[in-house]
Formats: sequence, C-alpha cells, structure tokens
Amino acid sequence: MTIRANLPAWVEIAKANIRWQYMYRFNVLAGIVLTGVTIYLLTIVWKAAFGSQSEVDGIALEQMLVYLTIANLQLYFLRPEIAGDIQARIREGQIGFDLSRPASYPSQLFASAAGDMIGLLPMVVVAIPVAFVLGELRLPATPADGLAYVASLLLAWVVAVELNMLIGLVSFWTLEMTGFQMVYTLVGNFATGALIPLWFMPDAIRAVVQVLPFQAIAYVPVSIYVGEPATGAIGSALALQLFWAAALVLVIRFVWSRAFRHTVIQGG
Amino acid sequence: MHRLDAILTLAGASLRSEFQYRANVVTSIVGGLIYQLTGFLVVFIIVDRFTELGGWTLPEITFLYGMRLTSHGIFYATISQMFEFDRVLINGEYDRFLVRPMSPLVQVLTRKLRVNCFGDLLGGLILLLAASRGVDVDWSLAAIGMLLAAVVGGALVEGAVQIALGSLSFRYLNTLQIRVVANEIFNVYGNYPFRIFPGLLQYLLTFALPVAFVAYLPASVILDETNGLHVSTTLAVAAPVIGVALFMLALLFWRRMSRHYQSAGN
Repeated sequence: MTIRANLPAWVEIAKANIRWQYMYRFNVLAGIVLTGVTIYLLTIVWKAAFGSQSEVDGIALEQMLVYLTIANLQLYFLRPEIAGDIQARIREGQIGFDLSRPASYPSQLFASAAGDMIGLLPMVVVAIPVAFVLGELRLPATPADGLAYVASLLLAWVVAVELNMLIGLVSFWTLEMTGFQMVYTLVGNFATGALIPLWFMPDAIRAVVQVLPFQAIAYVPVSIYVGEPATGAIGSALALQLFWAAALVLVIRFVWSRAFRHTVIQGG
Repeated sequence: MHRLDAILTLAGASLRSEFQYRANVVTSIVGGLIYQLTGFLVVFIIVDRFTELGGWTLPEITFLYGMRLTSHGIFYATISQMFEFDRVLINGEYDRFLVRPMSPLVQVLTRKLRVNCFGDLLGGLILLLAASRGVDVDWSLAAIGMLLAAVVGGALVEGAVQIALGSLSFRYLNTLQIRVVANEIFNVYGNYPFRIFPGLLQYLLTFALPVAFVAYLPASVILDETNGLHVSTTLAVAAPVIGVALFMLALLFWRRMSRHYQSAGN
C-alpha cells in the first residue's frame, strides 16, 4: 500500500538525480580519469610486486589484475553521494521539506541514490574502454560466475548506499564532519578490498576487515567474478552480502529513529 | 620586509579563524593523518608481502613516502587555496584583491587555511622518522641539508604546477578538475620508485608533469639508489633548485595569464 502510494515520488526523486549527474558531467568525466589513474598505477605496482612469479598464494597475476581493474571500475559506479547531500540539506534548513513528505526520509535517500547511479550508467561506454586500455579486463570464467556477479553487484550497491546513508545521518548530530568523512572515504575504500584484496592482507588486518560490512562492496562481488569467491563458494558469498544488506536496514532504522528526534531545522 | 609582515599577518589571521572551530580542527588533523596513513598502509602491505619493490626495501619506500607526504603537507599549508581559486574568480572576490596594495596571488593563498595539512605534515614526519633508522644512510650534515632542501623543493614543485594550472582559470574559469587530477597523480605516483614504471611513463612523470622532482629523484640521491636512474644524477641532485625555478616560472605564467582576467560582476 505505502509502496504504491510512494512510488511516483521515488521515481521523481530518482529522475531529478539523473538530471543532476548530467549537469555535473565534467566532474563525472574527471571521476573516470581518476579511476583510470588508479587502475593503471595498481596494475604497474602489482606487476612489479609479482615480478617473475606467475602465481602467488594460488592467485595468478592475470586474475589479480582483472580483480583490481573490475574492483576500481565498479567502485566508480558505487560511490553514493547521499552523505554530502544530507549534510547540505541540514545546513541549508531544507531538511524540513524532506521530512514533511509522506515517503520516509531513508526511502527518499534510496531513490536519490538510485537516480545517481542510473545517471552514471551511460558512462560505462567511456569507463570500460579506459579500464580495458589501462588495466586488464577479461570475461568471467563461466556464464554462471557472470550471473552470480551481477546479482552480487546489485547487493554491493545496496550495501554501499546503506553505509553512505549511515555516515550521512551523523550530520543530524554534528555538521562538523569533514575529517570524519575523509576517514570514512579512505578507510572505507581500503576495507572494500578494492586496493588490496583480502587474500593479500596481513592476518591481523584481514581479521578486522572480515567482520566489517565494506567487503560486500568490492571484495565479495569481484572475487566471484575472477572465480575465487570470498567464502569459498558463490552461495555463501552471496549470503554474506545479503546478511549485511539486511542487518544495515535494521541499523539505519534504529539510527534514523534517533536522528529524527534530534532534527534541528536551521533558518525560519 | 614590510610585505613579509603583511603576509604573516594575513596567514596568522586565517590560522586563528580556523582555530575558532576547535573540534573541527582536531577531527580534520586526525582525519588527515588517518587518511594519509591508510594510503601508506597499501604500499606497506605490498612491499612487506613481497619484501621489495623495484629493488627498494621497505624502509627505503617508507622514506620516499615520508618525503613526498611532508612536501605535500608544506604545499598544502601554503598553496591549498588554489583549489578554491575558481570560486574566488566566479563570485567576484578577486575584484576586492585587486584594489588592495598587495599581490592578489598572496591574498588568494592566505584567505583560508586548510587545517588537515597538519595531518599530512605529521604523517610525513612520522614516516620519515620511522624510516630514517632503517635506511642505510650516514646522517651527515650534508645529507640532512639535502633532505631539508628536497622537502621544501618538493613543495615548490607541487605549488608551481597548481599555480600554473590555476592560472588557466583566468581564461577558462572552470579548471578545478584538471588540478584535482594533477594533484592525484602527484599523490599516488610519487610514492613509488620510478624503476617499476614503463620507460615512457618515467619520462612523462619527469618532464611533462614533474612528479619525479618532488621526492623520487632527491630520495634516490639520499638513499644512494642512483644506479640505473632514468635521468642523470646531477639532475637528481639539482631537484630542489629545479623546484625553485619551476615556482618562479609558474609565478611568471600567473602574471601573464592574469591579464586575461575579466571581472565577474559589475
């Protein structure tokens, strides 16, 4: 019932965000250049690290390069910007309008994140050739791996949005969060496994990263893609993502119920 | 002398205004520090796992990273406002700078301080200190002098590039993304021994975009890793001087481009 009633609103929010991406197309393009810069560097560094070995710890060099390329490519598309949006809406006092709409605020945020992502999708046409030239792209080993990867990618997007939303909700308590956001961006990037897959992390660090939700954003889907699923099997890898996607819904509900009571509407 | 006084007063004012928000200062510095150390963690894990990279050991690469980061911190503390320059031009703030009896560039650079530069400086110094005992260097006065000159020279190289690219905004207004990309290339490619790069890239990152002069070339000299360098050792030793030269060129370029300034308002 509420889903049907709110659907038109969600669609409109998503559409508005698709247009935003088009307005900021230069930033969007610069983002692709930055992704290319990262992919190229990681390719060079890992080639040098492997040296003459064609395989380290059961991971072939080519597998590793495909992993890094896909991981950073998809990270470009899985970079929700809702945390910054929430902060801006609160700072400008417009959060009042958002909260007075019948659709719940988190659901509006999901719709806007969906719009952001859909608006970015056409960039695949540019991003894939860039990644192909600067990194290493191969098709997944089997069609089944490919299908599982697509499912896993969707779950990765959900978890990325949820985590970004949680960070954004912090602005209901404090607006001074530049430093905090920087830490989140980089620690988050690292913990996704996009720069170093969990296979190559030192045991102590891996133990920490394994209990965090970030791995669901890059490590889990991309390890499926290259045929080395995170938990040993595709089924349990997807289950791990599903667990985090669901658990974070509960966390968001809890944090949001607190944040709502804490709302300060700036200006009159 | 009088001018230096004014510059220090302006810089002091932006420092004080930033420290009005103490909680934000602390989180920005700590945030900046964690940000940089996480970046280092990636390099650390790779080199630690494979024991060396391009013939450089872990302490050597840590040292290189520390030099690059310290330079970046100095650059960020002094020149970071170039990242806001487009906005200064577009909202007409630059008009105000023109009517005051001081170089507009100095006024742009001192208008605000980004406190996370202290995180970069702190991170860079920690890495340098940690690596200084592990590397095989006789810490003579000459070596220490070279290190100090190189770190300042590196900041000048980065500053030169950002000021030169920023000058383009006098004509094209919106060039921030170019500077962001250039900054990213300095920040990530500057941390590795160039030996692992393909030949063409080594030259591009030396003569097209002078990344090599920030830390890699002077670090090669200090660490005595100049065998098989892609340029002559003399050029590597001269890195700090090249930093000064590039910075002067950038100032000239700024002056030239500023003639194209057209006020945004009326």
